[in-house]
Amino acid sequence: MDTPLLASHADGDPSALGLADPAMAQAQLERVIADLGRMYRERNDALRALARAHHEALLRLSIAAEFRDDDTGVHIVRMGFLAESLALALGQSTAWAKLLRMAAPMHDIGKIGVPDNVLKKPGPLTREERDVMNRHAQMGADILGASEVPLFKLASEVALSHHERFDGGGYPRGLAGAAIPLSGRIVAAVDYFDALTMDRCYRNALPDAQALEMMASERGRLFDPLVVDTFLDRADAMVALRERINSHRPQFSAVLDDEPLSALTP
Amino acid sequence: MKKILIVEDQPDIRKLIRMTLEFEDYEIHEAADGAFGLRMASAVGPDLVLLDVMMPGELDGLQVCQRIKSDPKLAGLKVVLLTARGQARDREAGQLAGADDYLVKPFSPLQLIETIERLVATA
Repeated sequence: MDTPLLASHADGDPSALGLADPAMAQAQLERVIADLGRMYRERNDALRALARAHHEALLRLSIAAEFRDDDTGVHIVRMGFLAESLALALGQSTAWAKLLRMAAPMHDIGKIGVPDNVLKKPGPLTREERDVMNRHAQMGADILGASEVPLFKLASEVALSHHERFDGGGYPRGLAGAAIPLSGRIVAAVDYFDALTMDRCYRNALPDAQALEMMASERGRLFDPLVVDTFLDRADAMVALRERINSHRPQFSAVLDDEPLSALTP
Repeated sequence: MKKILIVEDQPDIRKLIRMTLEFEDYEIHEAADGAFGLRMASAVGPDLVLLDVMMPGELDGLQVCQRIKSDPKLAGLKVVLLTARGQARDREAGQLAGADDYLVKPFSPLQLIETIERLVATA
């Protein structure tokens, strides 16, 4: 970048090229700030790329856990979008809802640590097996780590709290009501609905109306009444969103991108 | 895009501030004295005003800050004071005038951009 400020000083007077010359000092400062700006943007780009790579690795691990549990991996993508949509309907900020969309798909990452003889056991689990199964919430929180990055902090919170019950009878901590993080209350409801309305190896998908009825009957028991009411109020929109996701068959990376909801609109 | 108004009487400093704010994507406006800055605040509707405290003319930065903060039409507008004076009582005067933050010259470019990012994120 040429600096016209210096043109009048440049020829003849060598002292004019030092920092004692105010025009030279200013021009030099501007150069330094311009370089600082370049490094600032390069640093931020690198941090974003790093966070994305970390997120992608953990999402792939979540898909691995999900595959073991008999699914196609689309469940976790639906979880992200449905949780985002429900968060917005509950009046949360777009920034938080987007973060939840990115975090919710990792809720069952801890299932990677549950042995096959428990995870894939047909029929009811013994009490010991149930205890092993229930450890996936804590294991998930541990895998996602005690990170300071907001996304992984939220994902860890979701993994730990998505099996708490509103009435306090859930696990791992037996929290009740508002003591359960909102993220966990949202993901619990969305997970329930989506799990009921998809085909499993041991049963076909339930009709939406039946799943919604079952959800309503868990109002205040399994689930936060406000979360249930909000979900039921916009059940049509939630089902429509699910159908859009199913027909587009998005890759898991859809939950990573900045504007995927609009990309999914027909 | 968030709008930032720089009110600073010295063109060289104003240029350095503008270059720093250009690290992020802001729409940047400039004013060279307090009275003009106050008029621009109403006309442009910025999200944040960066105000030099000591400026020649009828209004200094503290007075501009007070007027912004007491004008209901400018509710929610964030103000950051930028000054060569870093004494405790200067900070106190800035707080009394309602400033959201207070930075000292020579300004740190990273501190400036981080302060503004934090304030406009909640604006």
